[in-house]
Amino acid sequence: MMDRYTWPQTIGIYACILVFLTFILLPFFEMFMASLRPLEHLFRAPYQFWSDDFSFGAYSRMWDTVPLLGRYIFNSVFIATAVTAITMVFVVPAAYAYARLDFPFKNASLAIFLGVNMFTGAVLLIPLYRVLRSLGLLNTYWAMIVPGVAFLIPTGIWLLRSYLEKIPRELEEAAYVDGATRMYTLRRVVLPLAVPGLIVVGSSVFIGAYAQQFLFAITFNQTRAYQPLPAGLFEFIGYQSVTWNEMMAAALTGVLPVMLIFLFLQKYLVAGLTAGAIKE
Amino acid sequence: MATLDLTSISKSFGNAAVLHDISLAIRDKEFVVFVGPSGCGKSTLLRIIAGLEAATSGQIVIEGRDVSREHPVERGIAMVFQSYALYPHLTVYENIAFPLRVQKLAEAEVRQKVGRAAEILQLTDKLQLKPGQLSGGQRQRVAIGRSIVRNPKVFLFDEPLSNLDAALRGDMRVELSQLHRSLNATMVYVTHDQIEAMTMADRIVVLNAGRVEQFGTPMELYHHPATKFVASFIGQPNMNLVPATVREATGEGVTVELAGGHVMSVPVEGHAAMKGAKVEVGIRPENVTLAEGAGLDITVNVLERLGGVSITYGTIAGGTRFCATLPGDAAVAEGRNIALAVDPRDCHVFDASGKVLRRRQAPALVA
Repeated sequence: MMDRYTWPQTIGIYACILVFLTFILLPFFEMFMASLRPLEHLFRAPYQFWSDDFSFGAYSRMWDTVPLLGRYIFNSVFIATAVTAITMVFVVPAAYAYARLDFPFKNASLAIFLGVNMFTGAVLLIPLYRVLRSLGLLNTYWAMIVPGVAFLIPTGIWLLRSYLEKIPRELEEAAYVDGATRMYTLRRVVLPLAVPGLIVVGSSVFIGAYAQQFLFAITFNQTRAYQPLPAGLFEFIGYQSVTWNEMMAAALTGVLPVMLIFLFLQKYLVAGLTAGAIKE
Repeated sequence: MATLDLTSISKSFGNAAVLHDISLAIRDKEFVVFVGPSGCGKSTLLRIIAGLEAATSGQIVIEGRDVSREHPVERGIAMVFQSYALYPHLTVYENIAFPLRVQKLAEAEVRQKVGRAAEILQLTDKLQLKPGQLSGGQRQRVAIGRSIVRNPKVFLFDEPLSNLDAALRGDMRVELSQLHRSLNATMVYVTHDQIEAMTMADRIVVLNAGRVEQFGTPMELYHHPATKFVASFIGQPNMNLVPATVREATGEGVTVELAGGHVMSVPVEGHAAMKGAKVEVGIRPENVTLAEGAGLDITVNVLERLGGVSITYGTIAGGTRFCATLPGDAAVAEGRNIALAVDPRDCHVFDASGKVLRRRQAPALVA
């Protein structure tokens, strides 16, 4: 076995895991704790970790404070789903072309895709605003979906291409010899075999879409009914007070769908990231 | 009548030429094997016949029709791949039916054709399984099944047995030969294994570095190798090549002195000008016996007793390696010196360029 560690190594590894997990999970934990506290306890000094009056009241009150909260959560999932679906429609044929076909500027264009990823959406906000305004897409769902798709296609192509390249070429040659067209082969042979890869790419696009919508929402959309959750959370900031506990409760509720999806797809993600690493 | 004619096929990848001006005429219902070391271009040639690669120049004619620019299906070929190339997500039934699905045949016709193929290949009770649940030999049969449902004119096999273990390979060889007889089709088969070539082929094409060394029946290749390369490639263990000097040469025979001093007259067609030339004498391990008196002296280094035969690896004085297949109970031992008797009529002589001198008293050819 390659993965035998001595006990000091084991302790070291677990210590590192603990540090990283603390950094990642502590905010979530603090969010959860804050959502349980009555508002006045949040500002109590000295900081008191445990209070006797924890309650889940914020989870019911938040729907009254921000009446459109349900709509915001729906919008978030809807926008991310739409972005994922449209992205996949573009990514699948493109990734297949990059994996199998030869065309001019193939490597150059792949490099450019990677380069585009180095610009965050923030750098391009103002030009994008002008583009969307010319197209008349401001203040619609499209204002958040279109740039979302555009920014996620490059990563999708890179991820899926490397997955498709691992599908043995002989399978496609066999289909070709048997008279199948490229599209038929893609549909009947390649895509069914690429399902784990499609799930990996699909979920990573979904997560990306979920994460990036805030920026596009606050810049390109003023219509409340179309706001996704991260933008909608601003409504917990009132004129006199910020209902932090309700905001935390709403944020957790909104993140929940993504977390559930991740739990379900986790095994595919791990399988997809290591696919082809060893000979089967 | 599915004849397959290749005319001056050449292929280059960029600057690297892999096939040089290959012309072959393959007859109807013939089982032809392309054999050669890895990198000799045999698989590329097969892929060109299949239509998976385009030849840089040359012509492919099937049944008298030039198919050089046609799609594999229009050419009427079917191919079995080295890795079987089965679709892992489809059942055996759907794998075999794949070419028919592409043609959009009616379900009843598909069922009938797949059923017949499954019967020929004894896969009837495996049709609902996935390829992953099959053994290597069964997978190979599914791959063959997929090729026969379409009734192609020419079957192409790309090293189909190389992924199987030795015992199964022997069984599949017999099955493929039977299949060839029952299908009555023209087959082209690529392998690097000379035993597969010898046992299955009607005729063998020996390829070396992108050129045809020889095209002939297995027995022609065995008894009349055209070049040193063919001679050492065909036969197991390999033919011994002993450096020698020509003492005398006529049209009747050539007298040579082998490295180590043994002198013999080999009945091959020489000419007087060869006197003094360096040649190589080819002696097959199975053509030597232990000598009663003096003979070709070798020192035995390694002895492999297989029961029926004892394969003896030794060296001739001067360091040339020599292998002899002796009877199972031969009185030899590692480290000992032995004398071997060689019948000059069994020997081959190759000139400096590797070309053979024609043998005058070779065994009659098997038709």
